[in-house]
Amino acid sequence: MREFLQLVVVGVSTGSAYALVGIGMVLIFRTTGIVNFAQGSFAVLGGLFMVELVDDMHGMLAGFVAVLVVGFIGSLVGFVAVGFRHRTTPLASLIITLGIALLIASLNLLAFGDRPHTYPTIFDRAWDIGGVLVQPQYVLVAGVTLLAALLLTLGLQRTIAGQALVACADSRRAAELVGIDVRAVAVVAFAVSAGLSALGWVLLTPVDPVNYDSDVRIAINGFAAAAFGGLASIRLAYLGGLVLGIAQQLVVGYADQIPGLGQQARQYELAAALVIMLVLIGWRARHEVHE
Amino acid sequence: MSAAPLLEIDGLVVKYGPAVAVDGVALSLERGERVALIGPNGAGKSSLLNGVCGLVKPASGRVLLDGRDLTGRAPGEIVRAGLTQVPEGRQVFPTLPVEANLLLGAYGREFRHELVTATLRYIGRRSEISTRLERVYSLMPKLHELRERPAGRTSGGEQQMVAIGRALMAETRLLAIDELSLGLAPLVVQDLSEFLLRLNEDEGVALLLVEQNAVLALELCSRAYVLEAGRLVLAGPSNELERNETVRSAYLGGGLDVAEAEPDTPTEPSS
Repeated sequence: MREFLQLVVVGVSTGSAYALVGIGMVLIFRTTGIVNFAQGSFAVLGGLFMVELVDDMHGMLAGFVAVLVVGFIGSLVGFVAVGFRHRTTPLASLIITLGIALLIASLNLLAFGDRPHTYPTIFDRAWDIGGVLVQPQYVLVAGVTLLAALLLTLGLQRTIAGQALVACADSRRAAELVGIDVRAVAVVAFAVSAGLSALGWVLLTPVDPVNYDSDVRIAINGFAAAAFGGLASIRLAYLGGLVLGIAQQLVVGYADQIPGLGQQARQYELAAALVIMLVLIGWRARHEVHE
Repeated sequence: MSAAPLLEIDGLVVKYGPAVAVDGVALSLERGERVALIGPNGAGKSSLLNGVCGLVKPASGRVLLDGRDLTGRAPGEIVRAGLTQVPEGRQVFPTLPVEANLLLGAYGREFRHELVTATLRYIGRRSEISTRLERVYSLMPKLHELRERPAGRTSGGEQQMVAIGRALMAETRLLAIDELSLGLAPLVVQDLSEFLLRLNEDEGVALLLVEQNAVLALELCSRAYVLEAGRLVLAGPSNELERNETVRSAYLGGGLDVAEAEPDTPTEPSS
């Protein structure tokens, strides 16, 4: 039981970071119809910038700057992906984001090298809660993620700019007719999503180092989290992220104990978790139909 | 200040690829006037409207509002110039509350190219906008009752009111309604028509009704244009068109008394 809880704690934390990536994907998909595969790159950039910045300034400020810079990069990516021409199809945009993801990974390789990057956590020891060791960093990731998801939801519901985003998601045509520039809103959606993804890895990097090519793993996990809610619901994407994170940790943790598999288990982490996700998505879809 | 009509369209051509949907249409509309554009399904009525509202760039021709050339401008600019379209099927924002739907009408009017300054301008005009919202609520008390409800969970007639209210929030002077009656019960259409008449007479909002339902359009408007296959085939005062043989047989079901002829679905023209 203690080991199970231990794994769940870690799972909730990594899952939270996946959830942020997934929420970003939902936001972009709903407002633009684009599945953004550069979403993992934003997370990696967040982590890498944080590692660079944290030596020079206070951690909080470093995180803030990293999120802002990646948010800005996100708006540029959005600007390119949505297209200078009036009608770039969502499929063309998807391929553009894929290309941008490859470009960012290559640039990261050139700039940061191919070793994993991390920075030391500011907390000097773990908390012992009933025998379960809880790293404060894990709690930080989970807490900030939940706060960010709540703030985003509130912002979309209560502020006029947020409602403009929802309006584009509801009916792009009607949004255009009331005078909202749908492409400008798409750029904002990209910026916010990029900032959210970056935030996840700004916080997670001390316990989960990033590589220049971590973006593929992160994008796939984020997409799986988003797919849990059919790329339509922020709440379900959040839940999907948590489920995915926990499932992965359980697979790794318990596969370790199977004789003969041992250290190889880690390789199957992603595959196993995705299978679990697929089953859950299938179950949810079926459930919905029967309702 | 000028004698230019509120809306003037001249030689407008709208194409989708090689297909010509609107082929050189000219029409005009004075301030506070009620004008109908009738014609069968596929005549190019909606394409004409979309060409005017900036959703589609016209291939040629001119669109002038108050004598100002706004051909092919962004939809937002057309809205700011005073023309708002209530699109076919109403197109409210279904997940947003009725009140947010209305406020977005005012917000969209402030939107120029990007979101941040639009939001700041909107906040700057906040008090003016809430006065306007009160005004819209006093014109349509039903919307005040429904203000918290997601617009997608209101009835078809209520959604039509939301879409009209949204246009009023954008300070529209010309309301272009695409298929007001589509999919609505006759009684609801009756209520909406009466409301639009009051809106026109008391508030001076001009109306452009784009309708397949010729009976309704001719009853409500003082003048009408008839569009067929992208071209204007007839124009004139409603009472003259009501007596016109072609119009009668094609659009009014050939009945003797127009007022009693109200078909549920408009009859297809023989062309």
